[in-house]
Parts: sequence; C-alpha cells; structure tokens
Amino acid sequence: MLRTLRIGLLLGLRQIQRANIWTTSLIIFVMAITFLNLIAVSGILVGLIVGSERAVQSKSIGDIIITERDDEETILQTQRFAQELALAPEVDTYTVRFTASALVEANYTTRTDLSEKANTINGRLVGVDPAAEDSVTKISENVVEGEYLDPSEDGYVLVGSRILDRYTEGLPDSEDTLKDMYPGDKILITIGEATKEFTIKGILDLKVDEVSAKIFMPERELRRLSDNIDRNANEISIKLKQSTDPIAFKESLVRAGLGEYAKIRTFDEALPKFLIDIKKTFNILGIFIGAIGIVVASITIFIIIFINALSRQRQIGILKGIGIERHVIEVAYVLQAAFYAVTGATIGTLITYGFLVGFFDRNPIDFPFSDGILVADPMSTLTRFGILFVITLFAGFLPAWIIVKQNTLNSILGRK
Amino acid sequence: MTNIITAIGIKRSYGKGALEQQILKGIDVTVQAGEFVAIMGKSGAGKSTLMYQLSGLDEPTSGSIDINGIDIVTLNEQDRTAFRLNTLGYVFQDYALVPDLSSEENVMVPILMRGEDWETARTIAREALNAVGLVGKYKNLPGQLSGGEQQRVSIARAVAGKPKILFADEPTANLDSVSGKQVIKLISSLNSDFGQTIVMVTHEREYAENAHRIINMSDGLVINEERLREFTPR
Repeated sequence: MLRTLRIGLLLGLRQIQRANIWTTSLIIFVMAITFLNLIAVSGILVGLIVGSERAVQSKSIGDIIITERDDEETILQTQRFAQELALAPEVDTYTVRFTASALVEANYTTRTDLSEKANTINGRLVGVDPAAEDSVTKISENVVEGEYLDPSEDGYVLVGSRILDRYTEGLPDSEDTLKDMYPGDKILITIGEATKEFTIKGILDLKVDEVSAKIFMPERELRRLSDNIDRNANEISIKLKQSTDPIAFKESLVRAGLGEYAKIRTFDEALPKFLIDIKKTFNILGIFIGAIGIVVASITIFIIIFINALSRQRQIGILKGIGIERHVIEVAYVLQAAFYAVTGATIGTLITYGFLVGFFDRNPIDFPFSDGILVADPMSTLTRFGILFVITLFAGFLPAWIIVKQNTLNSILGRK
Repeated sequence: MTNIITAIGIKRSYGKGALEQQILKGIDVTVQAGEFVAIMGKSGAGKSTLMYQLSGLDEPTSGSIDINGIDIVTLNEQDRTAFRLNTLGYVFQDYALVPDLSSEENVMVPILMRGEDWETARTIAREALNAVGLVGKYKNLPGQLSGGEQQRVSIARAVAGKPKILFADEPTANLDSVSGKQVIKLISSLNSDFGQTIVMVTHEREYAENAHRIINMSDGLVINEERLREFTPR
C-alpha cells in the first residue's frame, strides 16, 4: 500500500510539475471559480437574509427586546425595568418605546371638495426619547430628508418612507399612503378623541419595514395624545456591550423577577418568523445551487483527468507492461485531481475571506428588502471544501480507472 | 540444456466471425537460459505478435507458454503484471519512456515497484545508466536526450532489475544507423558479458546476426530456424 502510494505520488507529482503551466493555471482557475460559485452564490443568498436580520437587529430589536406580555397592553413596571437597565454594567444603551395606532391625515389644508376622500391612513406611532433611540438604533443616519427629532421641540414627527407615496410608487399597498408630503408639511394625528397637528421634521428611509412604516415622535407627545398616564411603555430595545452574552443577560433579568412583568427575548428569539422561514428556504436553495456547483466541478475534473489519461494511454500501457500495478497509475491521476481541487479551492477560499467577504461588507448589494452581504461561515466552507475534495478524488479516479483497465497491449499499440 | 521459454502450439487471432484474423497459426518455440534469439520476418509475419505472447503482454488464443517454470497463460492480470515486473525486461522500438520522469526516475520506477527503498533504487538506476554509457545524464528528461540515448535509458530500465529474459521489439527501428549499431552492440554485450537471455524482434538481418539463433517467420508460422553461433549454456 505504502509502495503504491509512494510510486503513484512520484508519477503524479512529476506529471503536475512537467505539465504546461498555462494549462495547469487554467484548470486551477476553473476549480477556484467553481469553488467560489459553491461558496459565494449560496453565501449571497443567505447574505440577503442575514443582511436583513442585521438591519432588523440594529435598527429595531437590538440585542434584547422587552415587550408586553400577551395578556397585557403595556410592559408592567416599565420604570423598574428602566432603573435595572440603567444600572446593569452589561447594557451599552437602551431605548423605551411607546406605541399607538392613530388616524393620520395629510393634505387637509388643500382639500377644497369635502366630498372627496380624505388622504388618511391608519398609522403606527412610536414615542421615543430621540436621544436614547438614536443611541441604540442610530436612526438619525437614516433621515433622508429634513432633520432628526430635537428632544426639546414639540409638534414635530419623523415619517417613515413606507407611508409616503413618493417612496412606495409601484409597491404593493402603495395606495394606503400620504400623498406628496415633504419636510415642513403638516399632518393631523388622531388617537381616539384627541387630535393634534404635527409638522414633518424629517423622513426616514431604511430597509426595515418595522421602522420605515412608522411615525416617530417624542414620547411625551405620544403619551399626552394617547392619555397614557402610568408611563408604562410597549417596547424596550437594549443594546448590550460587545462581550455580553444576550442569553445570559436575559436570564439575569428573569432571575431578577422581571419576567413576570413583560416578555423578555433575545434577538434570535424575537426574529420575525418570516425571516426565519426565508432564511431556511434560501439555505435550501444555497444547498441546491451548491450541489449543482459540485456536480459541475466533478464533471470538470472528470473531463480533465479523462483527457489527460486518454492522451497518455500508451504511456499507461507501457507502465503496466513493465510491471507497474494499475493502482499506482490510478493513484497518480487521483493525486492530480486532488492537487487541482485543493489548489483551486484554497485560492477560492483566500479570495472569499481575503477579499469578497470584506468587499460585500463594505459595499452591500442593494436589494429592495435588505443590504445583501456575503455570508461565508468557516465551518460550512470547510464542509464544502471537504465534499469537493472527496468528490474530486472520485472524479479523478473514475477516468483513470476506465483508461487503466484497458488491455495492456491495446494501450501500448494505441488500439481500441 | 535448460529451456527458460517453452511455448507450444501458440495461436493468436483477432476479431470475431467473418472478421477473424489468425495472426499466429500454431507456433512452438523454445529459448534456453542465456541464449540470444532473434525473430525475423517480413511485416505482418507475426513476429511482434509472437513476442507479445512470449513476454506476457498478450494472451494467446490457445497454446501454453512456460517461462522459468511458470505457465503464464494461466496467470490472472495482477499476477501477470507482477511476473513481468520480477522476471522480464522490455525494450520497445520507440523507447517508451515516461516523458515526465528523468532518466534515473524512469529506471527507478520498476525498481521501487519491486520494493526497494528510494536510495537503493537510485543507486541501482545510476549504475545501470552508467553501464549503458549515460554517466551524468541522470536528471535529463527523455525529451532532452537523443533517440539513441533514450533507447539506452530504456535498456537500462529493462536490465536494472536483472530480469531473467530481456525482450526487445525492434529496438533500432527509430534510430539512425550509427545509434542503431551502438544499441545492438549494447544488447549483444548484455548477452555475451552477463549471459542475459534475450529475445529480439528485428527485420534487419545485420542486427539479427549478433544472436545465437534466428527464428524466421512468415504468415504466422515459423518457417525455419538458423543457428548462427554455437550456444554454450553458462
């Protein structure tokens, strides 16, 4: 066995060494591209969802999200939560959100015919401390027109782009929008019996519907409008310090007895189900596309080794003729296949981690629902590397086996 | 007298049915240990086909071939390959060297296959190359050698493992006359100096005359045998 490997290694290595450098480079290039296809295509598919997840985490849910219990309308003991969080060393920052449904009307000053349908929508309002909200979500970076809320000003709101017709043209539900609204324009917001006129201070545009379909205002204004006197909020989004384990922190809150006043969930637990489902679907798609990539790679290697072995059929016959075992010759070709696969896949891996991952992080792909990144989990890359390697060995062995099993004399004489 | 090759009733045909062609039509051949035998004949006489049967590269349609006490017709492919490795040496007309291996590696491969370690194989290979006049050309690739030199490497490879029989299939066919004579001289010296048993196919009478005996063939049959020199077994 060792002897077979040693001589096969010698024959295989020498074939690689003496092969035309351009041919070898081309084969390795094809293998590198094939491996990239294996990693990058599925990585981008998954990256679309991971990009969306990241956006939802950073712009809405945070590392931990506290919401009202199913049988309550608000987070009970919100002030106690706030006190605990303010003192917790694991917490980087947090924001308390009050939410309410409201009737929002625009263009009422220019509406001359009262029989015409008013430009109204059912809107979701979010009352926040603008500074605290921005410290968690950096939402001010997503103000595309006008300015972010000033905590000292009253009567201003930030409007999400998803409820403005200018930003939703052609999208589903684009009818249920405010027409032709710009910063400085007025809207009427009605909660129950209370109505107040607000000025649009800025417009928020981001690929997180949770945020871009809402109207933000200072929390005191929302509480006044909705007559919330107990100061109990609806959401608390917490950003933890980098080294903090969200699960451990969540458990510490539960242990402190806060679990009975609200639902405390980590980001992963609170992730919208549709995102989880899409991620699963894209993973399956990624595996399917990866499988096609592996089939293409194995066919490529098969053809390369088959042509290589076929062109050396006489040489193979002579080697067998002088007494070299067929396994030695097969090992030589399998070794070549392994060399092409490992070299190509290594280059593909280097390109993926040395360039592509960083590139897509800096320049995400602009998809309508997310900023797509390239997700290349090292474990799954290693698995694909292994699968490609094993399949390549087989794809290298098969043509060598076909050629080597030919009659020795026929091979020597070049007869079929 | 010891026969190292005893072939009886060798027939070989190719194709089937109406297309069947009988190349060897029942040949009896014996070769003694240490003897140098040349097989001659015109193109299509069946001389190369006979050599392929005697050397275990092909299987006769019928007949028996006993080499060094073993009926090679009954061996399976694996055993026949091992038999060729350990018992026979080959020189082909177009040298049949592995182009990716250096001279010494070409010679080393069968030696390594016999189980020798790398250093021993290299020493044996270099001694064999020195013996055929290729001192210092150990690292040359076949493509960097002349035709005559390549055939010398081929001879070195064939004899390095000290085979019981050396088969040479028209070893001068691709060489100019000067190189051809040198190669024949080298092959002859292996017989005269070391008692190497040699079976050589050639169509050149001049080269065949170095042998002890010539087997003349025509149309798949041995038509006669010429004893050129007295052969005395060692």
